[in-house]
Amino acid sequence: MAPRHLFIRRRDGRIEVRVAESGREFIVKQMARVAAAESDSAHEWHSYLHAPMNPSADADDPLRVFERQKATATNAELALLSAHEEFINDVEAWAWLTTLQIALRSEMMAQGVFDSASLDVKSESEVADIRSLQYVLFELARVVS
Amino acid sequence: MPQLQPLVRPSTDNQTSSSDAAATAKAWNVVVWDDPVTPMPVVVVILRKIFAFPNAKATRLMMTVHHEGRAIVWSGQRDRAEAYCVQLHVAGLQATIEQDS
Repeated sequence: MAPRHLFIRRRDGRIEVRVAESGREFIVKQMARVAAAESDSAHEWHSYLHAPMNPSADADDPLRVFERQKATATNAELALLSAHEEFINDVEAWAWLTTLQIALRSEMMAQGVFDSASLDVKSESEVADIRSLQYVLFELARVVS
Repeated sequence: MPQLQPLVRPSTDNQTSSSDAAATAKAWNVVVWDDPVTPMPVVVVILRKIFAFPNAKATRLMMTVHHEGRAIVWSGQRDRAEAYCVQLHVAGLQATIEQDS
């Protein structure tokens, strides 16, 4: 039996999204969290989105921070706008991948998972969101070019 | 009709000291750091997309990140290094810049 994938690249170049409604809800929730964290400085994930670029410097370059903030917010918004589509294009697929990757790393930081050992000691219920995001990202990476 | 003569300025060579040249000679590196959750194919896709690396090079760099904890993925001028670093952050990878020692 052929493996079933969440994303299929069609011959016309579009990417078919084969995610059930409950899966879509999970994806939309993660995208919305990234979009919210970008614009809300009090959001739990906000600080995770702004790691310094040069650890030896006291402060990051404010212009670069602004550029990053704008681009991240744009990706998250585009991902949210296309989250319910049956087919997505390459630009939307890239927005999905980057937004969900940011969600994955933010969830990792929020859970205090900084190395493999700290991931291994977590219960499956504690890392359920991390595992789900990894699965979606793994599938997305197959079709993003 | 005005004469259209090329404007000749003094050469900039004698305005640049050798110490300036030495200070800018050291390249800035873009470093990607390992984390315990990012799937390996995602790192490869992001490196291919941002740097236009062929698949083999992106995969080799991803394996370096995985095994050594970090990899220098690009070296060059500081402003370009910062711009690449921003793109990696936007894509959700942990990246920093550092100057060659």
